[in-house]
Amino acid sequence: MKTTRQWIATGAFALLPLAPLTALITAPAAQAAVAPEALVGPVADYKLYVLDNLEQLVSHTRDFTAAVQAGDVEKAQALYAPTRVYYERIEPIAELFADLDASIDAREDDYEKGVEDPDFTGFHRLEYALFHDDSTEGMEKYAQGLMDDVNDLDSRVQGLTFPPETVVGGAAALMEEVAATKVSGEEDRYSRTDLWDFQGNVDGAREIFELFKPLAAQEDAGFVERVQDNFDDVEETLADYRLEADDPSAGFESYDRVSDADRRALTGPVTVLAEDLSTLRGLLGLN
Amino acid sequence: MSQSASIAPPSPRTLRLGMAVSFLLMLIALGVFTLSLRAANPVGDDGQVIEVTASGCEPNRLEVPAGQRTFTVVNRSDRAIEWEIIDGVMVLAERENIAPGLRQPLTATLKAGDYVMTCGLLSNPRGTLHVVAGDSSAPASTLPATAFVGPLAEYQVYTTLQLRKLRTSAVDLRDAVAADDLDAARRAYREARRIDLHLAMPIGLYSDIDQRLNARADDFEQREADPAFVGFHRLAAGLFGHQGTAGLNPVAAQLVADVDTLAERLKHASIPPAQLAAGTSRVLEAWLDHHRDDSAIAGRDLADLVALTEGADKIVSLLSPLLEHRSPAVQQTLQANLKALQRDLPAAINSSTPSGVAAGALLQATGTLADSLAGINQTLTLEG
Repeated sequence: MKTTRQWIATGAFALLPLAPLTALITAPAAQAAVAPEALVGPVADYKLYVLDNLEQLVSHTRDFTAAVQAGDVEKAQALYAPTRVYYERIEPIAELFADLDASIDAREDDYEKGVEDPDFTGFHRLEYALFHDDSTEGMEKYAQGLMDDVNDLDSRVQGLTFPPETVVGGAAALMEEVAATKVSGEEDRYSRTDLWDFQGNVDGAREIFELFKPLAAQEDAGFVERVQDNFDDVEETLADYRLEADDPSAGFESYDRVSDADRRALTGPVTVLAEDLSTLRGLLGLN
Repeated sequence: MSQSASIAPPSPRTLRLGMAVSFLLMLIALGVFTLSLRAANPVGDDGQVIEVTASGCEPNRLEVPAGQRTFTVVNRSDRAIEWEIIDGVMVLAERENIAPGLRQPLTATLKAGDYVMTCGLLSNPRGTLHVVAGDSSAPASTLPATAFVGPLAEYQVYTTLQLRKLRTSAVDLRDAVAADDLDAARRAYREARRIDLHLAMPIGLYSDIDQRLNARADDFEQREADPAFVGFHRLAAGLFGHQGTAGLNPVAAQLVADVDTLAERLKHASIPPAQLAAGTSRVLEAWLDHHRDDSAIAGRDLADLVALTEGADKIVSLLSPLLEHRSPAVQQTLQANLKALQRDLPAAINSSTPSGVAAGALLQATGTLADSLAGINQTLTLEG
C-alpha cells in the first residue's frame, strides 16, 4: 500500500479531477531505481516542446481562422489539417483542460443534436462547413471562438506545472487515441485528413518516449527496443501515404485511399505500442 | 579634605574579609551571568565560531558532523564581508554584508563531504569545511523526492525562458554600449537586471558566476577600480554613476559571455528541492543585508526588490500546492506575506521620489516573507 507521504504526493500533483484513478489505487512500482530528480529534465523539456507546438498552433490557427473569416474556402480547407497537427501532438496536456478540449476538438457525436447542436464548435464544426458544405457561411463566430479558445489554452498551459504522471502517461494516451479513433477514420470524416492527425499523435507520443528513453533503457532495454521497432513500423506505413516523400509539410493522401490491409497493418503495432507505453509510468517509478 | 578625614580607614582584617566577600560575589555574578547566557542562548547556539580577518578565515579548516549546523561568523576585518559555504561551485548557505566587528549566525543542513568557505575578500584564500557522516539527528532533506519533480521541472522551464530573455537584453546592452547610446543601454540594463534578479536563487547557487554578475565594488580589494570588478554593479556604476558608457565595452561583452555560461550550467543542473524555498529566502535576506540600516529605498534598489519579489512569486506558486496538502495554515501565511510585500511595492514605486521611500515597512515585509520561506522546508518535512 502507499504510504501517507505517497498519497499526499499523488494528491498534490494530480490536478485531481483528471488524474487517472490508477495513480491512486496502484501499489508503488517494484522498480524504484529511477531517481526522481532524473525525471525533472525530461519533464521540463517536454513542456518546452509543448510550448513550441502551442506557439505554432496559435499562429497557424490565426491563419486558418482568418481564411474562414475571409470566406476563402479553398485556403481554409488547405490550412485545416496542418493547423490541427499541433493540437494533436500536445493532446495529453491540452486534454487536461476539459472545457477547452470540448470547444476546440469535440466531434458531432459528442453532442445530442449532432452537427445541429449549438454547442458543437471548434475544428470539427469548421471541418463540417468547409468539407461537407463547401462553405464558410455563418462560420465567422466559430472561427473567432476557436481563435479565442486556442489563445486561452496557450495562456493556461504556460501557467501549468506539468504533472509528471500525465507527461509520461501521455505517450500511451496518444497511441490509445490513435487506436480508438484514428484507425477507424471517424476523427476527420469530412476532410479525410486523418493521417495528419495520426502523424501528430505519433509525433507527440514519440517525443515523450524519446525524452524518457535513456531512463527507461536503464530499467528495461528490451522494452525500449520493442517500442522503437513498433514506432518505426507505424511511421513506415504512414510514410507510404505521404504526398511527397521528402517533404513532410506536403502532407498525406486522403484516408479513403488507405487500403484495408494497411489499416489492419497499422492496428497491430499501434495497439502494441499503446499497451507497451502504458507500462512506462511504472517503469519510471511514477505510479 | 575634611570629609574624607572624618572617615576612619578600614582595618586590615576588614579589608581581607571585604576582598573575600567581593570575590565570592563576583563568582556568583559570573555564574548567574553564565546561566543567563545559557537561558537566552541554548547551549551550542553559537555553533562553530569563525573569525574573518582581513586576510582570511580563522580557523581556516573546520570539521563538523553532518546535519543541521550553526556557524557564527565574526568580522574582524575593517570592511563589510560575506561568508559562504560552497559545494563544488554551488552555494549552500551564505551571510552577506556583515559589518566590521559584528557577528552573524548562519544555520545550514550539511551532508557528509568536503566544502569550501569563502573568507571575506574574493582574493583571500578559501577555507575548507569537512563534514563527517554519522549524526542521525540530521538532514531536513527527507522530503519525498517525487513530489518535487513537477515543481522543479516547471522551475527549469521558467529559468530556460527567463534566460532566453536575459540573453536578448544582455546583447541589447552590449550593442547599446558599443554604439555609445546611453538611453538604450540604461533600458537594456534595467530589463537584464530585472531578469538577473528573477533568477537570483539559481544564479546564487554558482558562486563564480554570481560574483561575475552580481558582486559589488566593496567585495574587491581596489573596489570600483579593481580590474576584477565586472557585472551589473560595474555597469550601473558607469551608466548611472558616471552617466556614460566609457570603459564598459569589455564589461558588457563579459556579461553576455557569463549569461551563456550560466545558461549552459543551468541546462544540466538539478536544483536541490530544498533550495527552492531556502535559496529564495536567502536572496531576499541578502538584499536586506545591504539595506537594513537604510532609512529610504530608492530607484534601482527598489527596482531590485520588485524583481526579487517577482522571482519569489514564482517559487511560492510552485510550492503552494505541496504546502496546501501538508499545512494549509503555513501555505496561507506564506501567501499572505507575499501579498503584503507585493501590496507595499507598487505603493512604494508610485510614491518614489529621487530620495526614495521610507524603508521601514518594506524592510519588514521583505524580512517577514524571507522568514516565512525559510521555514517551509521544515514544514514540508515535518508533516510529510
